[in-house]
Amino acid sequence: MFKWEKLGKIFDPRDLKSESWMQEFAQSPSVLIFEKYVRVYFCSRPAPASDGQYLSFLSFIDLDRENLHRIVNVCSEPILSLGTYGTFDEFGTNPVSVIRNQDEVRVYYAGWTRCESVPFNAAIGLAISHDDGDSFTRLGEGPVLSFSPDEPYLLGSPRIREYDGKWYLWYVSGKDWLQTEGKPEPVYKIRMASSEDGINWIKFGKDIIENKLGENECQACPDVIFHDGKYHMFFSYRDSHNYKGKEGGYRIGYASSVDMINWNRCDEMAGMSVSENGWDSEMVNYPHVFMLDGETYMLYQGNEMGRSGIGLAKLDGAQNWSNQ
Amino acid sequence: MKWLKLGKIFDPTEHSLPNNCAEFAQSPQTLVMSDRVRVYFSTRERDDVGKYLSHIAFVDFDKSMKNIINISNHTVIELGGLGCFDEHGIFPINVIRDGDRVLAYTTGWNRKVSVSADASIGLAISCDEGLTFQKYGKGPVLTASLNEPFLVADAYVAVYEGVYHMWYIYGTKWKKFVESDPPDRVYKIAHATSEDGISWHRDSRQIITNSLNDDECQALPTVFHRSGTYHMYFCYRQAHGFRTDSNSAYRLGYACSNDLIDWTRDDSKAGIDVSEDGWDSQMQCYPHTFESDGKVYMLYNGSEFGRFGFGLAVLDECGC
Repeated sequence: MFKWEKLGKIFDPRDLKSESWMQEFAQSPSVLIFEKYVRVYFCSRPAPASDGQYLSFLSFIDLDRENLHRIVNVCSEPILSLGTYGTFDEFGTNPVSVIRNQDEVRVYYAGWTRCESVPFNAAIGLAISHDDGDSFTRLGEGPVLSFSPDEPYLLGSPRIREYDGKWYLWYVSGKDWLQTEGKPEPVYKIRMASSEDGINWIKFGKDIIENKLGENECQACPDVIFHDGKYHMFFSYRDSHNYKGKEGGYRIGYASSVDMINWNRCDEMAGMSVSENGWDSEMVNYPHVFMLDGETYMLYQGNEMGRSGIGLAKLDGAQNWSNQ
Repeated sequence: MKWLKLGKIFDPTEHSLPNNCAEFAQSPQTLVMSDRVRVYFSTRERDDVGKYLSHIAFVDFDKSMKNIINISNHTVIELGGLGCFDEHGIFPINVIRDGDRVLAYTTGWNRKVSVSADASIGLAISCDEGLTFQKYGKGPVLTASLNEPFLVADAYVAVYEGVYHMWYIYGTKWKKFVESDPPDRVYKIAHATSEDGISWHRDSRQIITNSLNDDECQALPTVFHRSGTYHMYFCYRQAHGFRTDSNSAYRLGYACSNDLIDWTRDDSKAGIDVSEDGWDSQMQCYPHTFESDGKVYMLYNGSEFGRFGFGLAVLDECGC
């Protein structure tokens, strides 16, 4: 089992002392490492509209590389505008994953649209930065990964990686909308696609993580890291109902693979669970694992799907990853 | 080109239709058989919130195209389930023979919030000569992509030299012409090819030049080969005011090509236009060309987008 030392919450937009467009939520952290700081991209929200509906925008904070608890910069405005009338990302950009590509930075994100019979739909977009990740321009008005015969809706939770010159995208695809007494509830599963250029994708076309909570389990945020000859995936999963509190809320799962296609799920290894009390006592979710200066860290969001901010954990240095 | 109009040949209000449909017989498209021509069309029911749902039905004509010999009284293809691209209607459907099977390229509609709807192209397969179709997956085969952000619709598929060609439309913008009105859509004609009819490679460009202005809407391409040339008919209109103003409403456009790639548009050669009066005097739209017993026919809708049916014309002279 991985042994994580929780280092506590590092950012909560509700704690910002100066005026900010960010009202609450810091979701789906993803890092870009600079010489002096670690930039953490995430998704945040202004106050909801009068109908109670939220928009979600891409944001970042910079953490001092020598002391990750010290925030040295907070982004002053969203780094990507929302899409125009009728586009896939008109009502939100969330979650997010960033990657360097030579002298540009790419952000892959799920764009949100609103529908009549179901509350929303999503597809995956790509935006590019030429100023070292300060601002982004979308590559096109439409998505870079969208629906297909066996992926009919809700493409989201992108995690972008590059291994040996080839691009890989782990993401989720909607499987079903369940009719409930309230709003319809989606079921989605983790999938994968590969690409030569990060733009034209070939979908693998299968769910890659077996269900643990039954066929209506929702799986999200497949965060992959290669270490000691294996691919390690930390992801989130939950039940399709009663998931907004502690009982059915998101937990962090784990799977490993030697070929990126066949995965062995073993959630007991993840070693990351809710705290007794505090900001991550009801849920831990949207993990992002990265290595920095000889240490391995996990950023993750806590209660209420990240309404209460992002926290950090550090892996016990003596771990042997290949035994996982 | 020169067409002889044969008049309106089908009025949906004179027949009993499946799925509680009463009016509309839009975008007629054919499956030609040895003893009949099956004409699929989209007809409409009102759902429980008072909005329309488009369903597919068909009518069989004998080969003279003068006599109706059968009308579908069953569900030809189901609409999509909750959240699917074709949950709120299928309009239109394009059918093509593929060995023992009949393939259908559907345009599925789903309702949205800031704009009225979006559309994608689905595939369905029939193993009973087009009586019923089963979907190839819950999702679409062609949908929004980087430079075709929404409203991917109106597929017309033909096989030339072993390659599947699809002509279709994609949305370029939703634009508010009047602040108090909902936004209007703009869409253009494009082309894609495929080895198997399932995975498509897009040209990713507009292939028919604009004739009205940048906001011209181009729809429902249909292509046939005759006298050594490929001929395309389609319909086009102004983006705003097209429902009420006949001058802004759909007209038939024409383009020709020798290589299926580059098209020369010249609407003045279409050889067919709105009538002085009668069922197709306000607009002409949704053309579909097909060959039967050596003749080239065109089915199309007239006023009110086909609320009261479709008519037929036959090609009299062919030249580009």
